[in-house]
Amino acid sequence: MKNRLRVLRAERNWSQADLAQRLEVSRQSVNAIETGKFDPSLPLAFKLARLFETTIELIFTDEAKG
Amino acid sequence: MECSPTRTGSLITPAGRRLMWRSAVISVFLISFAFFSIWAFFHYRPTGPMAWLLALLPSLGIIGQMAVFGVYLSEEKDELNVAILVKSMLWSIGGTLSVTTVWGYLEAFAHIRRLELLWVYPIFVVFQVISSLVVRWRYR
Repeated sequence: MKNRLRVLRAERNWSQADLAQRLEVSRQSVNAIETGKFDPSLPLAFKLARLFETTIELIFTDEAKG
Repeated sequence: MECSPTRTGSLITPAGRRLMWRSAVISVFLISFAFFSIWAFFHYRPTGPMAWLLALLPSLGIIGQMAVFGVYLSEEKDELNVAILVKSMLWSIGGTLSVTTVWGYLEAFAHIRRLELLWVYPIFVVFQVISSLVVRWRYR
């Protein structure tokens, strides 16, 4: 699943480790989500949305929608 | 002090660290029990309940290791690590079932050497090590 995590992270000048720390997950998890190799659960997606003060739809792209 | 991913964003989570420690302790017990049982059978040739007890002793370590995996899955907060363990265990179970089933048919029809059931767990461990490396590599 495509997402804007890298952009959102860059806007705040956070490293992957910084984001991982805030999400309470490993840095590898952040990297896997960011590169689209791993889709987070709904609770983690909501946590990301809260952290970036936005909505899940604005972070993740529904590729099936075209 | 426990190194938490919440502070460091590190690769190994506290639950992962506990898994490694518990697995190491279990492995020591497993190997010790196995060698003790072999030694006891070789020297004393026990029979009856003592033979049963000594034969079951090494398997306690294997049951313990399965419990350690179960505890880890309930403790781990990192979704990716849970996914990696679950996927690698599914591959390991599949691999072990495939190897033992093929071997079983070969035993039955081609009369190859008998595979003792106690080798099932070591086969599983080999698959577990390989599959966890491959699955983790895919998420690198």
